[in-house]
Amino acid sequence: MTKGENMKRRFSFRFILYLALLPGFLFSFCPNASAIVYNLQAGIKTITMPDGASITMWGFGPVGGEITIPGPVLRVPSNDSTLTINLTNNLPEAVSIIIPGQVATLSPVRFTDSKGRQRVRSFTHETPPGGTASYTWNNIKEGTYIYQSGTHMAVQVQMGLYGSVVKDYAQNEAYPGINYDKEVLLVFSEIDPELHAAVANGTFGTPLYPSTIDYLPKYFLINGVPYPDATIPADNILGTNDTILLRLINAGLKTHVPTIPERYFEVISEDGNPYPYGRTKYTVMLPAGKTKDAVVTLPSAKRYPLFDRRFYLTTNEVSPGGMLMYIDTVEPCIGDLNNDKDVDAFDLVIFISEYGRTDCSQANPCVADLNSDGRVDFVDLLILAANFGRTNCP
Amino acid sequence: MNRFLLKCFSLTLFFLIWVLLLPPRDASAVIDGISGNTFNLVAKEGHISTPDGGSVLLWGYAIGNGRVQYPGPTMIINEGDTITVTLRNELMQPVSILFPGQEDVQADGGIEGLITREALPTDDPGTPQDESTVTYTFTATHPGTYMYHSATFPELQVEMGLVGAIIVRPAGFNPNAPRAYNHPGTSYDREYLFLLTEMDPRIHETVEKFGVDALQGTDYLSNYFPNYWFINGRCAPDTMAQAFAPWLPTQPYNCLPRMHPGEKLLMRVIGGGRDLHPYHHHGNNSYIIARNGRMLESSPGMGPNLGMSVFTIKTIPGETVDAIFEWTGKDLGWDIYGTGPGFEHDCVDGNNDGFDDNTHEYCADHGKPLPVILPENQVLSFGDFYSGSPYLGKKGVLPPGAGTLNVYGGFFYMWHSHNEREMTNYDIFPGGMMTMLIIEAPGVPIP
Repeated sequence: MTKGENMKRRFSFRFILYLALLPGFLFSFCPNASAIVYNLQAGIKTITMPDGASITMWGFGPVGGEITIPGPVLRVPSNDSTLTINLTNNLPEAVSIIIPGQVATLSPVRFTDSKGRQRVRSFTHETPPGGTASYTWNNIKEGTYIYQSGTHMAVQVQMGLYGSVVKDYAQNEAYPGINYDKEVLLVFSEIDPELHAAVANGTFGTPLYPSTIDYLPKYFLINGVPYPDATIPADNILGTNDTILLRLINAGLKTHVPTIPERYFEVISEDGNPYPYGRTKYTVMLPAGKTKDAVVTLPSAKRYPLFDRRFYLTTNEVSPGGMLMYIDTVEPCIGDLNNDKDVDAFDLVIFISEYGRTDCSQANPCVADLNSDGRVDFVDLLILAANFGRTNCP
Repeated sequence: MNRFLLKCFSLTLFFLIWVLLLPPRDASAVIDGISGNTFNLVAKEGHISTPDGGSVLLWGYAIGNGRVQYPGPTMIINEGDTITVTLRNELMQPVSILFPGQEDVQADGGIEGLITREALPTDDPGTPQDESTVTYTFTATHPGTYMYHSATFPELQVEMGLVGAIIVRPAGFNPNAPRAYNHPGTSYDREYLFLLTEMDPRIHETVEKFGVDALQGTDYLSNYFPNYWFINGRCAPDTMAQAFAPWLPTQPYNCLPRMHPGEKLLMRVIGGGRDLHPYHHHGNNSYIIARNGRMLESSPGMGPNLGMSVFTIKTIPGETVDAIFEWTGKDLGWDIYGTGPGFEHDCVDGNNDGFDDNTHEYCADHGKPLPVILPENQVLSFGDFYSGSPYLGKKGVLPPGAGTLNVYGGFFYMWHSHNEREMTNYDIFPGGMMTMLIIEAPGVPIP
């Protein structure tokens, strides 16, 4: 390939890139960028714990999709300023959605109690059973937040009506200046099976289970499941060189203290607000309703235990269980030239196409110059060979 | 000439005796513990005593073949040293040591556990020799206050007593001018350890009477309800008894902070248990300089410029806090050394810091009388810590039968968990997570 041809190829690539970016560029001049809309349902879901116990949960899910505990992660694109949730209620009582920390105009719903007092039942307008309603936040800001029911919260949030809302400042930039490569989002919560049984059979609020003040959880969950089920999703492969953003969320009623005892991290925000200075810790105190973000690198290719330092590490009284999980890291692949997370024949083809080049520079880069010495030679081939066959690259 | 020699000799002898009687000046000696690079710990069973007369089953760490202790031995080590801790297991279930905040701990021997490698029971005939011992190796890369504890069923084993403290001295540590970290902003005169833990006696009774498996028939581990609260392994008032008291053979460490006016007292506070403890120190605010063994600084080399002044230290399970406490009596509005006949003294501020150069009296309050008229002794009831005089280093007349534990006329300030239930021993007040700070007059020996 001559230099001229190479230039032409890069020019055309750039042209296409500009063309692709043009709408976004023009759009950025619009004052109210765009609005993301999520269509959610609230419904009943029965989940099974590792000890075989069957628990009736109330949860959120996409309309027509599955109810999950916690609800789906609602991601707001960086250039969106408005979030709208259209909620369909398939539960036997009225529900609503609030996002603590995000400004919205709320219309509280009141009821008259037995002593004739007006009391708030719902922080904002309700979606009646079988009905739908819309909830909008017009100035959604970046950060990690919880969305949850704003109605009869002592019961409904505990029943499972919670999830996370996430917005980044920019692509892979959580807050201004806080960049990351990979995200690990962990929602901590608990289940008191007797409360759920009381709600399911209508005895909640009776002498059998008078109120949530009698809350005694027996299941301690990370992302809705106890040990050993809580894992990092298989497609989120973490490299030893990745800067990992930990989004830590407590949707339960107890204080938890997630810890990675073998590694310090930088706690960089709380309730969606960045700290002026990060805090170097190996623990994060997470009271009920709190969100904190931390940035960490895990430099050894191994499993890092993460657990609740308050030692809620049982599942229905049996050890091991509860809030224990692992974060696995692997060495980065060198030679995944087409970024398909495998080092295979396709990469070899790209390598061969550049083999023998000696003109690699910043202005004229070679993807196959694996040791960055300005030439694609036998040494690079050896590096490629050492990585060849790797799959599931971080 | 002979008389002169005799005089010289007796003066020399007097001086020698005086030097021998002087308290040791090494501030680092205040925190009891073991030093070195290599530690041999053995996990074994025993009992601790509580001031209400209770005896609680203990699983703890012992120094080699020594007696089991609560907490485990405080390891005092130096920044940069490579530390080897060998753990042998004389309990009847697997056990381990985790070193939170120490990165790259190498564990060898034993078997793989959920969090770190674990030692199998030595006394189990089925245990191969090399699996009853684990060796943990790490380099103490940073100075500070840390802890260690079991990571094998920690919800049970830390509760049972398998927890201890680690202090890492900064490189170039000078015991005569000690610093907590590598910055002059962390200088101190005295240091004290506050390892805060709690125990739920139901768990210990169940394990002792019915075995570990019987816990599965209870909700004690998830519905945790402690009734004993400890500082350095003792409940008040045992916290104030001497260290290594023979009547507390498995609880060697005490916690009785003492200081002179104007000194800096380094508080090393560790959340060793499962619960949060608001550790409230009367007398003055403290200034938090570090958490989790890391100085609160805006960038390396700045010193603890992100610290904060608090009167209650938020102690979080798994976390450590270093705070500097100072007491001067400034702005009390009265002369702490007394006024009137019998209390004549000067306030000489040669260095213009506002305080007497020797007694550290706040000169602006010099000569100001105590703003109350002391009632007659007949109308007072006397606490154990009242010396009979409101003035520092002074003692007064006490009525017959009223003894005092305040031998030097110091000022006593209660330091305790501000969760007041934690100031009891199984519902008996006072007790639990509580001790006294004593401000001692200048010249009073403090070990």
